[in-house]
Amino acid sequence: MDVLPDEQETLIQETAREFFAAESTPALVRAAEKDPSRYSAALWKKIADLGWLGISLPEDCGGQGLPLTYAGLLLEEAGRAIAPVPLHGTLVAALVLARHGSAAQRALLRQVVQGELILSFAVQGLQGAWSPAAEGLTGRAEGEYVVLNGSRTFVDGFRESGHCLVLYQAEGDGVAAALVDTTSAGMRGTDYVTTAKDSQARVDFDNVRVPKSALVGEPARGAAIARDLCDYAAALMTSQLAGATRRDMEFAVEYAGQREAFGQPIGAFQAIQHLCADMLIAVDGAQLLVHEALWRLDQGLPASIEVSQAKAFAGDKCIFVARSAQQIHGGIGFMMEFDLQLWYRRIVAWSLRCGSVREHRQQVAAALLEQPGKVRLGMPLVPA
Amino acid sequence: MDFTFSEEEEALRDEVQAFIKDNFTEEVLADLTTGKRGRGFGPKAAPIFRKIAERGWNAIVWPKAYGGQGGSRITQFLVEEEFYRAAQVVIGGGGTGTPAVLASGTEAQKQHYVPAAIRREIIFCQGYSEPHCGTDLAGVRCRATRTGEGDDIHYVVNGQKIYTTNAQVATHIFLLVRTDPESRRHAGLSILLVPMDTPGITVRPLLTVQNEPGGPAGTTYGEERTNEVFFDNVKVPASCLLGEEGDGWAVSQRGLNLDRVGAWRYLISVKRDEDIVNWLKSGDERAAPLKDDAAVRDKVAELWIEGQVCRLMTMRSMTIEQRGQAFNYEGAAEKVWAPEHGVRTTEAIGQMLGPHAQLLNGSPDNVQDGLYAHNLLSAFQSTVNHGSVQVMRDQIARKGLGLPKPRK
Repeated sequence: MDVLPDEQETLIQETAREFFAAESTPALVRAAEKDPSRYSAALWKKIADLGWLGISLPEDCGGQGLPLTYAGLLLEEAGRAIAPVPLHGTLVAALVLARHGSAAQRALLRQVVQGELILSFAVQGLQGAWSPAAEGLTGRAEGEYVVLNGSRTFVDGFRESGHCLVLYQAEGDGVAAALVDTTSAGMRGTDYVTTAKDSQARVDFDNVRVPKSALVGEPARGAAIARDLCDYAAALMTSQLAGATRRDMEFAVEYAGQREAFGQPIGAFQAIQHLCADMLIAVDGAQLLVHEALWRLDQGLPASIEVSQAKAFAGDKCIFVARSAQQIHGGIGFMMEFDLQLWYRRIVAWSLRCGSVREHRQQVAAALLEQPGKVRLGMPLVPA
Repeated sequence: MDFTFSEEEEALRDEVQAFIKDNFTEEVLADLTTGKRGRGFGPKAAPIFRKIAERGWNAIVWPKAYGGQGGSRITQFLVEEEFYRAAQVVIGGGGTGTPAVLASGTEAQKQHYVPAAIRREIIFCQGYSEPHCGTDLAGVRCRATRTGEGDDIHYVVNGQKIYTTNAQVATHIFLLVRTDPESRRHAGLSILLVPMDTPGITVRPLLTVQNEPGGPAGTTYGEERTNEVFFDNVKVPASCLLGEEGDGWAVSQRGLNLDRVGAWRYLISVKRDEDIVNWLKSGDERAAPLKDDAAVRDKVAELWIEGQVCRLMTMRSMTIEQRGQAFNYEGAAEKVWAPEHGVRTTEAIGQMLGPHAQLLNGSPDNVQDGLYAHNLLSAFQSTVNHGSVQVMRDQIARKGLGLPKPRK
């Protein structure tokens, strides 16, 4: 038991922090919001050159083979600098392919690590429910093809991704996954306009013919693949969210130490101090929960409930922190020319992505109440 | 990062659980969990503590030179957790006092106090709060005057302490006194280790809100009494001084973090999260409709997740201790989060149970012997004692975040 990052983890985290602080400036973030692609290709290239896109991918896929906790730390730092790159979607899809993909799909990961292939993933239907049940998109077998019909929503990075890892309901076979070429005929992306001004899109499938070679894993493994995809996505989204929120809190603490009112820095008032103390506790809590979830995922232990715990807590508390940071800044905080709003808008979006507080709490409640036997904190729960 | 206990630690947990099953009979449990004489004390309990000490379980983390095992903080936590879960008893070889003796005592003091505390022949109570000061301990007025010559150098203590839990069963009091009458605030304070049988000490019970009827086993802060302690010209040998005279503030702070974090601190805040889930699943006919209620399910999950944060903050503190690092704000953060969680969960359970949550031990129609009603009487105590959550937030803001002190 040693729940804090060790020396090597700390070293990677600090290196990433310095890199993103220098390279992902607010000016770059603002420019990316205006770019149709919504991301910075130059920053993406630099991240790839450092080998970070393969940080937790196996060495036989061109990765560094480091535990998943490292990918989490990297996402925290990217989130901290609200880096305008499709890191989350690419890493999530790549991790699933590394674990479940065919030899040809795993071979694609070398291109991913080089920064030459961006990936996205698609889980949610028109209802927006975060669930591995893959509702809203069906696949019908037709010879050597599967024909997809329906919709996927909130697909981040779709426009720039070469392949999209798609969950669908296979006729008679339950949930299945396919790695779909995003230029396939019948596939149409429509950009959303989100608070984060990011690259989420709805993707409609109209008789999209996907070769069977693009299916991921055996049909019988579909549910497990969907579970992994949802777990990786929600956990790493929490990492990104926690990283951004910690920076947001720091802005507020810095400002409180400088801004004077009633003859002294506002940070000297207990009302502000106690609010900041609660903000720190909230961010720490989110970070501790997600570290545990990622560590368990990396160890191959059941982790879906730990992931839901982390995302539910972060979804609730990170918005509290960001809203409090706005409160401490007063009027200047919501001026477009001031950088704080860049963080606030993303924290709002990310707290809503990959499962809402309500949805993740439902998973935790079901594990607590539907499984037989007594519960004990510290002893893992099994999903209902 | 590593989020599991080792195989050896899990094997030890099994061993401790088997020990508890064999030794904590109904009779012993009744003795251990009564709040009348002080929880964890009583004639039936004494032999059990001897057995625990023989196995070294209450001194895993302490140095071998003083009767400990020289083991890890994490292992000590694991063992303490099992005993607190079983009967809300705090093992750890003397609790308050002993860690400070190890940190600041002379060799002779360590040899005198620590092995005896492990055997539970020495039990400390904590003499900090006074009627006019609790959270602001730098206001301590209890006076100790140094006097005498040669072999008869001693202190004469006069004053009063309050909320001195377990003074009625303690052999010694870990006493914060003012040795320099001209001093102010943190300067001029000292720590004396005073035998409770010294002439001039009077212990008077103060009954708590948990008195009549007493709470059932499982009640947190189920003590039915605490105490006032009066010192009237109490003569204490100079050898009872811990650390340097005038250095009492620093001496009292060493080891205080471990008073604010650890197994029992964690469990008093989260045990009821488990209790309510297990009750909802118990088949009690009042539980069945609640178990399927969407609002209850959302709240139970929210509280459970908060409980997990309590656990992880505790593990963070244990990690810092285990690594030999110093706390910055982490102990204070845990001392805010866990007690306030305990209050939130207690009050939320009250609303789930509705009117039944007011029924105390012995009442008809109560739930689990009135456990949740008794918890409602005391959950807020942990946000008050051992450093109020407001003072803890001050520490987090100033030490953890570097925010400035107010200008006068």
